[in-house]
Amino acid sequence: MRALMHGTHLRPSATGAVQRVIRRASLGAALLLAALVLAACGVTPQTILEPTTEAARASHWLFLVVFWAGLAVFVVVEGALLYTIFRYRRRRGDSLPAQTHGNLKLEIGWTIAPTILVVLLAAFTVPVIFANAQEPEDDAIRVEAIGHQWWFEFHYPDLGVVTANELHLPVGKPAAIIIKSEDVLHSFWVPALRGKLDMVPGRTSVFRILPEQTGTFPGQCAEFCGTAHALMRFTVVVEEPDEFDAWAAHQLTDRVPPTTELAQAGEALLTPAGCALCHTIRGVTDIGTIGPDLTHVGSRAHIAANTMGMSRTDLEHWLSDPTGMKPGNLMILPRPLTDDEIEALTEYLMGLK
Amino acid sequence: MATTTVSVRPNTYAGTAWSWITTVDHKRIAVLYFVTSLAFFALGGVEALLIRLQLSRPELDLVHPDRFAELFTMHGTTMVFLALMPLSAAFFNLLVPLMIGARDVAFPRLNALSYWVYLFGGIFLNISFIAGGAPAMGWFGYAPLTATEFADTHAVDFWAFGLQILGVSSILASINFIVTIINMRAPGMTFNRMPMFVWMTLITGFLIIFAFPVITIGLVLLLFDRYLGTSFFLYQGGGDPILWQHLFWVFGHPEVYILILPAMGIVSDVLPTFSRKPLFGYAVVAYSGAAIALVGFGVWTHHMFTVGLGPVADTAFAISTMAVAVPTGVKIFNWIATLWGGSISLRTPMLFAIGFIAMFILGGLTGVSLGSPPVDTQVQDTYYVVAHLHYVLFGGTIFGLFAGIYFWFPKMTGRMLNEGWGKVHFWLMMIGFNLAFGPQHQLGIDGMPRRIHTYGADMGWDVWNLMSTVGAWTIGLSMLIFAINAVRSMRTGRDAGPDPWDGGTLEWSMSSPPPVYNFAEVPVVDDRYPVWKEKHGGGHTGAVVTEPPAADTAHDDDEPHIHMPNPSYWPILVAAGMVLAACGLIFHQVFLLVGALIFGISLIGWLEEPPG
Repeated sequence: MRALMHGTHLRPSATGAVQRVIRRASLGAALLLAALVLAACGVTPQTILEPTTEAARASHWLFLVVFWAGLAVFVVVEGALLYTIFRYRRRRGDSLPAQTHGNLKLEIGWTIAPTILVVLLAAFTVPVIFANAQEPEDDAIRVEAIGHQWWFEFHYPDLGVVTANELHLPVGKPAAIIIKSEDVLHSFWVPALRGKLDMVPGRTSVFRILPEQTGTFPGQCAEFCGTAHALMRFTVVVEEPDEFDAWAAHQLTDRVPPTTELAQAGEALLTPAGCALCHTIRGVTDIGTIGPDLTHVGSRAHIAANTMGMSRTDLEHWLSDPTGMKPGNLMILPRPLTDDEIEALTEYLMGLK
Repeated sequence: MATTTVSVRPNTYAGTAWSWITTVDHKRIAVLYFVTSLAFFALGGVEALLIRLQLSRPELDLVHPDRFAELFTMHGTTMVFLALMPLSAAFFNLLVPLMIGARDVAFPRLNALSYWVYLFGGIFLNISFIAGGAPAMGWFGYAPLTATEFADTHAVDFWAFGLQILGVSSILASINFIVTIINMRAPGMTFNRMPMFVWMTLITGFLIIFAFPVITIGLVLLLFDRYLGTSFFLYQGGGDPILWQHLFWVFGHPEVYILILPAMGIVSDVLPTFSRKPLFGYAVVAYSGAAIALVGFGVWTHHMFTVGLGPVADTAFAISTMAVAVPTGVKIFNWIATLWGGSISLRTPMLFAIGFIAMFILGGLTGVSLGSPPVDTQVQDTYYVVAHLHYVLFGGTIFGLFAGIYFWFPKMTGRMLNEGWGKVHFWLMMIGFNLAFGPQHQLGIDGMPRRIHTYGADMGWDVWNLMSTVGAWTIGLSMLIFAINAVRSMRTGRDAGPDPWDGGTLEWSMSSPPPVYNFAEVPVVDDRYPVWKEKHGGGHTGAVVTEPPAADTAHDDDEPHIHMPNPSYWPILVAAGMVLAACGLIFHQVFLLVGALIFGISLIGWLEEPPG
């Protein structure tokens, strides 16, 4: 401490060094500021601040209400605290301050003030709670969203479509998302569409989503569910109703038969390599129900619960070491695949459009 | 007291290791609590630093996801049960008898038992790291990740038995302090004159004895599920994982107030001392503490707004949650009013106390936002919640506890902590804390879930995470400075004397460290700040007597003849038997048998121990 204090008495010879330090410090500060601005303007696809439905907008609006009210309280109270400390800082020759013990009127006042704020906030909150709890319409598109360690299954009971990690919804039509879990707790969360709802084994919860904008919206499991919790993502693709109908119709068809020799070799591997034990590929095998349905896996944009892209390299990596790519992965190969087998399976799976 | 400044440091802590093992002196037990809880605090801190290292950049591969889950589970469990609660207990032990004019607690041997059960329980919990893996399901142990199907090692058993053992320690200590406070106050020390820290200790004690039985039941049911094949929390057998969430949070939310109220008590005694003014609105501060505790039992499902309990339940618990803001706000206004008009000296304890208020305000405000279910469903289980809880439990509790450490270190050791290094500690911790947890609000808003071991570079979370990691390591540096300062000051610190801060409550009336018997004569109290009144009240005498009685000064040994409880080795044996028995349910039945035998025999020995 003493050294620090003496350092403030600068000798002329030290000024150059000090200027250098100041220059470096301001450069550092500028860089930090630039980084902050970048971070603030950077792409954050999973933000809660860009709602695209009425329910998400209601949450967002309430968030802003609480944020600005909170900021006002923060500034006033912290300001009062700092002002008090500065104004009443001890000075030489201070006499003993007046020994006040309280003030009933003041205390009643600052009991009433937060009460009013809280009542206002509750008044804003309660209608939104009930609005967001609106039951889905009878003609809503029903989708069962089922949590698995560590992927999402989407099942459209009325359409007969089964897919994984990529939920398709038509814009402008209400959807009833029927939320379940197969094993442990998970949570269904797409910030742009609405707040999260936990997936609880043994329980069925339903909420309504009415998409208003087309686009692809990222979501992620938000309740810790074991080893690969971080690697359990999904997307919601909101598309025009005719696109959705076409997608659904295509999903109902059997797999596209392989055309190249390499892809045919891949299909022949499904049973010997053990894939068929867990995965269904309609038109070839339908005994496997543990893993995601792969009938049209090539039409999806991602693999591995949306932590890798649907590309040749990623798929090859995935097939060569599924537990390395996703620790804890329940996809366990009965035996390691050879490079040739991986190449054939990759060719085949990419073709399952 | 006014006649001499020559301080003869009493040999309160002299003696062999055996004297520490058998001690029943509340001041020695306080030292044991301080050392142990700060050691566990360091352990939990190292776990946090590793977590932050893994998250410093996207897609890092430094820590395996399973180890990562162990780290965040044990970080939470350690900080709550092994660091913050026992650190509060250290203050209860050190201060309650001194502040109320008692020579010890009501049940000194029980007090020793609480400590040993805590120590062994903490070690037991951490043995899991080297005995097949630590618990890895998050500190609130949500079913069904705790079920045998998903956790087939003994990790969850270590956790469940460990928490049961620690619960025994907490409940025993609470009963002890409630009885002490109700029965052993000096003449004139009415409830209305108790130091605010004693008030908060009393309320915390009641919170513990009402909240802990709930988690005890939850843990018993969990162990039934795991050992006896029942299915209280398994839907396949007709149970419900949500039942666990209710049981856990009926305990868990009051637990938050168990962690914050002692720190509020500390701050309520530090602020008046360094403003040279009494606490503003004493009764309101005490009652608002009680109100927070009561309402705290009626808010638990705000941890469960995303479960889908329905709009009516969500509304009821949203309103009760927001209601907590009122007594909390009242406390903050009263603290600021205590400063208002004072003569404020920014010594280290005061800096930490002000830091507590400043940071706790922010934690409280984000808490209100989480109390609104539509907001909560978006930010629940994200880093926004991580930021919020750290602003309450670190910005609040830890800042408050450090205010207490700097304030009462001189009383406990007889030496001052170095003030300059204390200020370096404060500012580093303040900067590091805000750097670590401030950006986490933004991370939550940007959609980063908590408890993920990695994240993609495409999520836009990297800069904030890096800042957070730098902040966490800055906190680590500040703690290192504190540790060095504490060790050095204990040996070479400036002599404290009985009353280094010009304090007002009874503990400042005696030497530092206090003599074994605390008070030579039981004081008669006629004011909330009896020592202050004697010094500054003008002409008032007779409030406090600390000199040894005249009749005894002629005696050979210069200690007055005051009967103090005898040391006892039964408490440590009872504790050892209890924890050994728990080991038996995990390792080998032999431990169970031996543990039960030791437990039983020691209990009989305890009961048969002749009065000293």
